[in-house]
Amino acid sequence: MTIVKPSELLIEKTTNLLHNGMNARAFGDFGAPEALGDARWTDELILSTWHMAETGKIPEKLNFKTGNSDGGFDRLKFQFLDESEWVEHSEKISTKLDLNRRGDEKNKISIDIPWYGGGMSYGSVSINVMMSRARNARRWNSFISTGEGGYPTELREVEENVITQVATGYFGVEEDTIQAAPIVEFKYAQGAKPGLGGHLLAVKAGEDVAKLRGSVPFVSLFSPFPFHSTYSVEDHSKHLDWIETINPKALLSVKVSTPHDVDMVAVGSFYAGAHIIHLDGGYGGTGAAPEIAKKNIAMPIELAIPKVHKFLVAEGVRDRVTLIASGGIRTADDMAKAIALGADGCVLGTTDLVGLGCTRCSNCEGGPSGRGCPWGLTTTDIELQEWVPQDWAVQRLDNLYSAMQWRMRDILRKLGLDDVTQLRGRTDLLQYIPKEASE
Amino acid sequence: MLTSEKASGSVISEGRLSMESFETESARRGRQLADLYHRYNIDTEEVDDVQSLPIRFLVEVGKVGLAKYIFKEIIHYKGNTEVILSRPCTYGVFSGPVGGFSPRPHLCVGCLRCTIQHPEFVKVLPNPERLSLGDSYTTHGHIAAIDEEAKKGMVPVRGQGYRGRFGGPGFDGMLTDMSEIVRPSRDGIHGRELIGTSVDIGSKPMHLSFDEKGEIKGIKPKMFSIQVPFIFDLPPGNLGTEKLIRVIDSTSKGIDTLACVNSSDVERMAIDSANIIPVLSIDDAQKSSNFPNARLIQLDGWDSSAVDAARSVSDAMIGVRIKFEEGWQLRLDSAVNHGVEVIHLLADLHGRGEDGQFVIELFKEAHLRLIEQGRRDLVTLIGAGGIVGADHVPKSIISGLDAVALDLPVLFALQGRSDGSLVERAGVIGNLPNKMDEGWAEQRLTNLCGSWRNQLLEILGAMGIREVRRLRGEFGRSMIVEHLEDEAFEGIAGYVGGGN
Ligand code: SF4
Ligand code: SF4
Repeated sequence: MTIVKPSELLIEKTTNLLHNGMNARAFGDFGAPEALGDARWTDELILSTWHMAETGKIPEKLNFKTGNSDGGFDRLKFQFLDESEWVEHSEKISTKLDLNRRGDEKNKISIDIPWYGGGMSYGSVSINVMMSRARNARRWNSFISTGEGGYPTELREVEENVITQVATGYFGVEEDTIQAAPIVEFKYAQGAKPGLGGHLLAVKAGEDVAKLRGSVPFVSLFSPFPFHSTYSVEDHSKHLDWIETINPKALLSVKVSTPHDVDMVAVGSFYAGAHIIHLDGGYGGTGAAPEIAKKNIAMPIELAIPKVHKFLVAEGVRDRVTLIASGGIRTADDMAKAIALGADGCVLGTTDLVGLGCTRCSNCEGGPSGRGCPWGLTTTDIELQEWVPQDWAVQRLDNLYSAMQWRMRDILRKLGLDDVTQLRGRTDLLQYIPKEASE
Repeated sequence: MLTSEKASGSVISEGRLSMESFETESARRGRQLADLYHRYNIDTEEVDDVQSLPIRFLVEVGKVGLAKYIFKEIIHYKGNTEVILSRPCTYGVFSGPVGGFSPRPHLCVGCLRCTIQHPEFVKVLPNPERLSLGDSYTTHGHIAAIDEEAKKGMVPVRGQGYRGRFGGPGFDGMLTDMSEIVRPSRDGIHGRELIGTSVDIGSKPMHLSFDEKGEIKGIKPKMFSIQVPFIFDLPPGNLGTEKLIRVIDSTSKGIDTLACVNSSDVERMAIDSANIIPVLSIDDAQKSSNFPNARLIQLDGWDSSAVDAARSVSDAMIGVRIKFEEGWQLRLDSAVNHGVEVIHLLADLHGRGEDGQFVIELFKEAHLRLIEQGRRDLVTLIGAGGIVGADHVPKSIISGLDAVALDLPVLFALQGRSDGSLVERAGVIGNLPNKMDEGWAEQRLTNLCGSWRNQLLEILGAMGIREVRRLRGEFGRSMIVEHLEDEAFEGIAGYVGGGN
């Protein structure tokens, strides 16, 4: 079958059907699809994300806070004050986060919300998805990361909100994309496949993608593991020095997975010069990863955050570094809990995709059709990618972020706080729901 | 260098090499050596299904709703076929001759686009028949994974993140470690080919004693290697048919591992060979002499005089199968005291001992016990029970085993179905496909082994461990979710410890 770019009429028909269908499900005109959802992203969590992405408001009738995974964030809740002590819900409740806490001469960057968008490379997602996320990041004075796939020229229009990622394959890493970046992120590992490198399937490495990656079209592209230039923390320091030479103002972020010694890795990264330590937990998203790795290698983010936070505190450097958590963070409630466990902020990936229609069907890597995501998200298929019009997608993400910021403020005020930074490490405000209580 | 030259069979030229010819000659010899080298690999090849699992999803389309919809579209889009004929499914479920009027649900991957686009007349449901496969331990998820692994021989890869519960009981409560920078080789992802998965079967004494003639004193240590840390166990329940035994026999030879087979079957089928482990009852120990080709013979239970009887008539290593029943520790001690080189530990098929403990703890106890006694390397520990996923292999080895034995995965790799309880070995009722072709079955089992070995390489590669032998008992390279929770959630109101 020849795949061709669809006509305007077909795009209109399909997108209308999809958007109306999502709304019909999210607003309760029809029940949740019987096959929707899993333990981490339940049907209600997916539908509530669709609801927020459509309306900008949290839903009244759906659980928008937790999944059903029987552990981690799903067993934590906040110990809210009595209603009489709540702070009034207002925009004065600050959700701002400083990313440069070293006090050096580099960029002073604050984001308006305590989260930014995680790396999804061009190739693993369509240009529409990438640009929508970036344009939404601009609206929120936040960021997205390029992921490891290069820097499409379209991104130039929002370069102040784009983090350039340098990963082990160095795909698309150019001097000018380092120079353009306010933040440069070194990706050592990814939570969903820690220690395994990356793999872009041939089918997704079309002409444009291959060009950006300096490769040949429709050839599988591997990112090896690990950096072949890194044997030690000292070598890691050399990496950061290299970036500093090319762009002296850029903040340096180090993205690592969550092994047993993640606390040591974090401290090593700090002393090597990192401004941001980005922990990516084992239950994080991916375009494609071995199932055995997703489930088994490295620890979930909920368990890594306190370990690293406490260690940085003990080392006396906690206030000089920004600790960012990702990997299985789904909701505003998850983010607030991550911060209470010790993170400064979070990175979202899957949540953005769910906001745009992802049903978590796991066919992103191509599936039997070989065409990638049937929703047009994790694909560069010339027909399917048209199902995600940019303007629609930017508005969906904007709405979703509005609802999440509202909920973040709601949590803060019910705890008597008026600034998200006051929540960091406040495990005393959390409560664990014992297993019996939920059985 | 001389050894290598001999091994390569190269002819050493007479006289001294001139400087001019040195480089050419050494390159030639290097090439000759390299050509001799064989890297172990399991050759996998996708095979067709003969008894497919029940399909994942049921697709229901309301015919009246669909007809009305098409009619409306024909009017609305004025016969524009590109638009009218466009279908929501990119997987071909509605691409049959009559489209949605006769969907092809076996092609459905559950993306849910159709039911979102057309909630009025399309439903996609998880297939209850599929969900009912297996039991509470060996779930439909395990069975589907084994089925896919045996079909394709590949590592299952999917998009999006993990979909299951946080941690969990049994093997799910153990995570494996990774290393941010340390690797088995500096070749990155391709370095996995350099990781060794062979394990030694037998005893490795801490030292050897020699007599005046330079001969080894006492019992000569016997040891051999197999290429993967898993063997085939006795087929449980009613599965031990001649056909299945022939399949595990040929597969174990093909991939260089071992297969446990009842001694009576070995004799009747005349399949005594180096890859077969004849399993004898204690009473039949004398019959060990009937298996001159076996490298390892197992006795079903511990009895010192039975071991002596077997030893007196056979040169093979004599191993002992010990169930995790009351007093197993003492039986283990006595067997090792008696010089038994291979112990095959058995939990039930849910991985539990008689006292309810899970195999992670049981394997660990056996391993640590022998370490404390200072004689861990005198014995090979093989374990079985509850190993139904690729991740269970490295986790069992981390728990202290040298190798695991596979039971139920064989049934599901061959697209068999179980009927009733999957707890007790003897009680398993399994139905293999009718008229199962042995070549097909061997390829499926080979594929399963290839896939599990490759998944083991993923785990070892992530840790930066270069051979599976070094994983044995490496508790420090695992993380127990409950312990991590204790560390992370300590002090949080309501958390009482142990993941509760
Ligand atoms: S293929 Fe499925 S899981 Fe992947 S992005 Fe698309 S809808 Fe989501
Ligand atoms: S759920 Fe997806 S794969 Fe299944 S029939 Fe519908 S569109 Fe096709």
